[in-house]
Amino acid sequence: MFWKSTYNEFIKIAAKPRSYIGLGAITLLIGIVLFALKMDGLTYISFITAPFEQSLSFEGNLLNGNTMAFIILQMLIIHIPLLVALVTGDLVSGEAAMGTIRLLLTKPISRSSVLFSKYLAGCAYTFIIIVWLAVLALGVSKVIFGTGDLMVLNSDGLVILQQTDVLWRFVSGFAVAFLALVTVATLSLTFSCFSENSIGPIVSTMAVIILFTIIGTLDVPIFDRIRPLLFTTHMAAWRSFFEDPLPIKEIVNSLVVLVVHCVVLLAIAVYKFKHKDILS
Amino acid sequence: MKLRKSLFFILLFSLLSSFSFLIQTQSPNTIINGVYKKMMKAKDYSVQATIKVDLPFIRMMPVEAQIYFKQKDKFRVISKGIAIIPRQGFDQLTRMLKDTTSFTAVNSGSEIIGNASTTIISVIPSADTSDLILGKLWIDIKQNIVLKSQLTTKSNGTILTEYTYGTQVEYGLPDNMVFTVDVKKFKIPKSVAADINNSKKADSKADKKKGKIYIKLYNYKVNKGIPDDIFKK
Repeated sequence: MFWKSTYNEFIKIAAKPRSYIGLGAITLLIGIVLFALKMDGLTYISFITAPFEQSLSFEGNLLNGNTMAFIILQMLIIHIPLLVALVTGDLVSGEAAMGTIRLLLTKPISRSSVLFSKYLAGCAYTFIIIVWLAVLALGVSKVIFGTGDLMVLNSDGLVILQQTDVLWRFVSGFAVAFLALVTVATLSLTFSCFSENSIGPIVSTMAVIILFTIIGTLDVPIFDRIRPLLFTTHMAAWRSFFEDPLPIKEIVNSLVVLVVHCVVLLAIAVYKFKHKDILS
Repeated sequence: MKLRKSLFFILLFSLLSSFSFLIQTQSPNTIINGVYKKMMKAKDYSVQATIKVDLPFIRMMPVEAQIYFKQKDKFRVISKGIAIIPRQGFDQLTRMLKDTTSFTAVNSGSEIIGNASTTIISVIPSADTSDLILGKLWIDIKQNIVLKSQLTTKSNGTILTEYTYGTQVEYGLPDNMVFTVDVKKFKIPKSVAADINNSKKADSKADKKKGKIYIKLYNYKVNKGIPDDIFKK
């Protein structure tokens, strides 16, 4: 019954036009970025190499699919939470707004199972978004630009990773990015349990992400203690897979923080959904 | 008989002394010409290279590359991956030495490098517009090879290069080159690098301003002919 309910929830997501906004937006954005980089990518790349160009010369295929994929990920991963929240923020509140939640909860399945079904369907949607992003960013980039070593510009220097050493980093990076987006999905689902309309949870989720990101970016000592606890700080953990040596401790720490956020938020959502008044 | 023997030794000694004096008193331009002529023996060459980079602010694994050179100034590095080489690379020295009228060469003393005795020649450009500010060459005049060079240019700063020779010493082509380059202190805003969550404290290595590039050269193919197409990017 649980899996059937999950399947039904996924069908509901698939039937909503807004679910395709995310996929369409990613396709359009990546298409524009790839076109621009194909036309004038070397100018963009020279921005990365410029600090070293006075005394050093870079040889080889600088404008390659791996570097393009990293640039695209870096650009888009900040905006994708909005596309996820657009769907997952509507999972409970959308039903409440339409009045279908009463009918849904008459099914012979517990309230927690209904919520978990919705949550799993939301995670599946997030997974599809990430896979689509990977296919376009990595697959199409490689077809257009070919393969090559990956250049990563960090705030403290340049890391050049050999092409044979890159695929596993991308796979791990996408996996961590998926977990980060699942955290956003959990947050919006939790907000969704508190709301009777769709806009509230979506806007609240984005407001929290923006607020936490600003706190995380500000180099003010007062935020030093809070910053490691914010999930937005760890949403960029995917980037750690492109460092050399690999900061394993930091990656594990980020994974723990994200998982704890998911568990706590989901527990709040379950509690609220179980006690939700669906009669008024 | 004893007198003849003594006379022979005196004559030999005076000959050797005058030869050594001749070597020591070669003009700087003659020494540079000797080196340049040796370099010119290689009309073209291709060589495999292993490039290892030890620079502050850059982390990368050693890279394999193929290097092509053809007189007078055609030069190309082909690498499957991304290779980093000094801007004043392999052909800078040849280009500098080819016109002895464009600079004034001054003998600046001598120095022992490894087992070889070298003469230090300072090269000062004649024209104010020249990119070169000062060149310093440590030349083994017995073999007409440069063992160390230090070139300071307006555009690329100072690069110190140490050369080790082996199989292709007859062409003046090294087996190993070690470049010491100046690297500007590198710091870009986290937001520009989109590395907003990096809270790591700066690496002590990041304070270094000098870095080294090690290039090992092997499988030389000298004067076998290289088509011009290879030099087209």
